[in-house]
Amino acid sequence: MKQLNRLLHKLIYNSAGQARFVMALVGLSVAIILLLMAVQLQVNYYQLLNGKNNQDSVANFLVLNKELTNETVGASSLSEKEIANIKAQPFFESVGSLTPSRFKASIQSNSERFPFYTDIAFESVPAEFIDINNKDWQWDETSAFLPIIVPNQFLDFYNFQFSFSQNLPQLTPQVVKMVVLKVTLQGNGTPYEMKGRVVGLSNRISSMMVPQNFMDWANKHFAPIDGNNKPSRVVVRTKDPGNPALKKYLQSNGLITDAEKTRFSRYRQIVGYVVNISAITGVLLLAFALLIFTLFIQLTIASCKDEIQLLVLLGASPKQLRIFLMKRFFPPNIIIVFIAFIVIGITQFFLGYWLQQKQIYVASYPSFYTLFTALVLLLVIGLVNFKTITNYLK
Amino acid sequence: MRIELKQVVPFVLKDRLLQKTSDVWNTNLALLPGEYIKIQAPSGTGKTTFLNTLYSIRKDYTGNILIDGKSLQELSVDELAQMRQHKLSVVFQNLQLFPNLSAFENIELKRLLSPSYCSKEKIEWMAETLGITQLLQQKTGTCSYGEQQRIAILRALVQPFNWLLMDEPFSHLDDRNIAKAAALIDSECKARNAGLVIADLEADKHFNYTHQYSL
Repeated sequence: MKQLNRLLHKLIYNSAGQARFVMALVGLSVAIILLLMAVQLQVNYYQLLNGKNNQDSVANFLVLNKELTNETVGASSLSEKEIANIKAQPFFESVGSLTPSRFKASIQSNSERFPFYTDIAFESVPAEFIDINNKDWQWDETSAFLPIIVPNQFLDFYNFQFSFSQNLPQLTPQVVKMVVLKVTLQGNGTPYEMKGRVVGLSNRISSMMVPQNFMDWANKHFAPIDGNNKPSRVVVRTKDPGNPALKKYLQSNGLITDAEKTRFSRYRQIVGYVVNISAITGVLLLAFALLIFTLFIQLTIASCKDEIQLLVLLGASPKQLRIFLMKRFFPPNIIIVFIAFIVIGITQFFLGYWLQQKQIYVASYPSFYTLFTALVLLLVIGLVNFKTITNYLK
Repeated sequence: MRIELKQVVPFVLKDRLLQKTSDVWNTNLALLPGEYIKIQAPSGTGKTTFLNTLYSIRKDYTGNILIDGKSLQELSVDELAQMRQHKLSVVFQNLQLFPNLSAFENIELKRLLSPSYCSKEKIEWMAETLGITQLLQQKTGTCSYGEQQRIAILRALVQPFNWLLMDEPFSHLDDRNIAKAAALIDSECKARNAGLVIADLEADKHFNYTHQYSL
């Protein structure tokens, strides 16, 4: 068999140029690398968007309210239907109403060294939306303190603006949590005083937060009876604040949120298009390379058609010739797919390492999908080879 | 291996066969194992067509050819390949050698298609008998037609066969070389209990023919 193959090789080799064969393989290699790279890019892109290491806890919570325009002034509250509609959106995992305080309130410090006083308004939200896990975050009518969560921006505003203008000392978060505040509620004429304490600082919602049950109790006792009970703002948890569909939904429903958190949706859309285009280009190039390779096989067989016909005349079975031609054309494909996968592997390793330095985390090895694509490609190339050879031997 | 021809009429000879009769065409004819058959006919009467039809290169005919009772038309490509490797050998009129391969490579290629039948030593011995030993390493494209004919005859003898088909195999050989080649062919056929079909223009006494037919 070896000697027969050597003779067949001599016959076929002399008829079809080795240079053309190498060129066809180079074309196919480039296409395979591009396609595998496109698949790997998609995987990396997905990892960057959804990987736990890359998620921003702040960005996952958005506070939504109606955009205030001439039409919505005074009617900014959200109806039950509107809230139900928000809850129905697939990109929102959970939705909680923010309840505003509908009574006057002020806080002041008891300390002589820290003569601080300000009118204030509170908001509350169901506990699952709070990012402070603190045993003090509970209240009932017998509680000694009213727990309060203060936005970090407030403390920054106090420390870097207000304290200078009022000649007050700057406060660290630890000190703020130690200060006992006097909270005064006013609604039905009689001021109601209680002690309050800051139990945490948060970036999630930029309001002075109090427990929900305190808010319900206080609104019941101090708010005007005919007041508006409907919430004006809701807090939502979402996997992906940059989701373009989310942004589109907000725009079409006249809702706004922190633009900082959603502005990446535009960039993401662009990157998404680029990644998709690279995948399409890869597929087109592969189709083109396969075409070239198929044509090359046809050309090779055509250029030694006389020899093949004579071999068949002498008794070589088409099966023998098919095996011989497959042995000649297919193994180089295994090598180029393998090399292409190794190239992707090395590129991914260095890409992973490089991005890690920038605190961006992607896997440092090629994905399963890339390997799977490589194997599928090999199968496709094998089938194309087999089909071309079989058709031509007829 | 028994070959039967049942009313075989090639399309190309259809009109001509309406005007005259033939020992082979449009009749029933059986070629029995071990028979030596001579087909003698002038040019253009279908000698090559006959041999090509038996070798299943041409399928443009009406009627039927049976090989051991099985229709030649119904053989699959793989069965046909098997038949050409083990049962039917041929010396083409136009020889059909690979001009870029040496004489030895041409012969070796055929030998390797049905391996373990003929040894290399046997090839060398047969080459010596035919007087072409010195040509074995030469490309056949550079050999004279008479030399190529002997190479083609040798190639046909390196495989097992039940029938040897030859189309004007000695047309470019001198009498001495014809005698050597015919003796070798005869002994190889006898060794295999094989028959032969030889098509030629003239009558001859190269072999002890069982039947002589004209077209």
